[in-house]
Amino acid sequence: MKNARVLVIDDDQWLVDEYTRTLTAAGYTVERAGNAIDAMETIDRLKPDVIILDLFMPGPNGIVLLHEIKSHTDLSRIPIILISNAAGDLKPDVLVPYGVLKVLDKTAMVPGDIVAAVKRVL
Amino acid sequence: MEGNNSIIRAVGGTSGFDIPAVITAAHELKSPLALVRQLSLSLQAGECTPRDIEIVAERITLTSERALRLTNDLTRAARLDDSLFCLEPINPLTMLEDVAHELTPLYKAKGRKISVTARRYSLLAVANSDLLRRILLNFADNALHYSAPEAPVTLSASAMGAGERIRLSVRDFGPALPADIWKSMEGAIGNGATHGIHARPESSGLGIYIANQFAEHMGAQVGVTRHRDGATFYVDLNASTQMRLL
Repeated sequence: MKNARVLVIDDDQWLVDEYTRTLTAAGYTVERAGNAIDAMETIDRLKPDVIILDLFMPGPNGIVLLHEIKSHTDLSRIPIILISNAAGDLKPDVLVPYGVLKVLDKTAMVPGDIVAAVKRVL
Repeated sequence: MEGNNSIIRAVGGTSGFDIPAVITAAHELKSPLALVRQLSLSLQAGECTPRDIEIVAERITLTSERALRLTNDLTRAARLDDSLFCLEPINPLTMLEDVAHELTPLYKAKGRKISVTARRYSLLAVANSDLLRRILLNFADNALHYSAPEAPVTLSASAMGAGERIRLSVRDFGPALPADIWKSMEGAIGNGATHGIHARPESSGLGIYIANQFAEHMGAQVGVTRHRDGATFYVDLNASTQMRLL
């Protein structure tokens, strides 16, 4: 899906810079939010095609945001890629009801993994 | 296995660290190491412009330095021995300016500002300069990573009571900590437990625990004040009775 809009939600701006560079080079339009509150505002405004979500952020964390997104019928259809240093501790089957289709491990992924994940969920 | 056991014993040392603390330390180091890895992979991918390469290389350096500060603090905390840490009169303003100077490149790279507000100081504080510096670096690093983006971080010094105590503070701005999280944070300072401080996620409380260990060895106390718009982490020191030479 060319020019799909990807929202990256992560408080680590340097990591987001890297994801943005990789995704933009692959032809995606990238939006970013550094916390759950800004993310919800962006999701409401832009209705991204894919959400890439970090688990741990200052303020409401990724789990809180997942609950919030799931509670809205129109937003709950947006595919979500969870990305975390704690990916190894997550149970994917618990996350599927929240629209999480893929989990990426920050400690093990290579730059191309994020593009592959976006292509897979679209 | 013997090598691993000796490492665990060394970390345990005299400070009371145990296996869960080692795991906590490993967790704290994951974030900067994962970032350094991603930055390096970006360089290797060969798609960066020359300007990108400069920026990424600087970020690798700053992130590595941050991780090294933590590992150095862990090593120091594992080897706390009263005889190794002499106390001396310290100029609070000089110490704060030194800390701000060291962290300015990291703050600048993150688009943030760190500043020192203190009137010219006539009082000296009694401390071990190395341990005090580590405490303040810890607090200021914590403030950078867990407070609101673009919010300033301010270091300051003030006299307490009738000037018998000096407080060095790091004030950050962001959402107020929820009351239940607040209580667990106060507990972490009080009893040294390294349990999670969930309002500042990916922070296990290890930094505060280490700061508390360092402070205790100086006869100082660390604490945190909750504000509606952030937090102030502080260390209270005894004022020196020695007159500062002008």
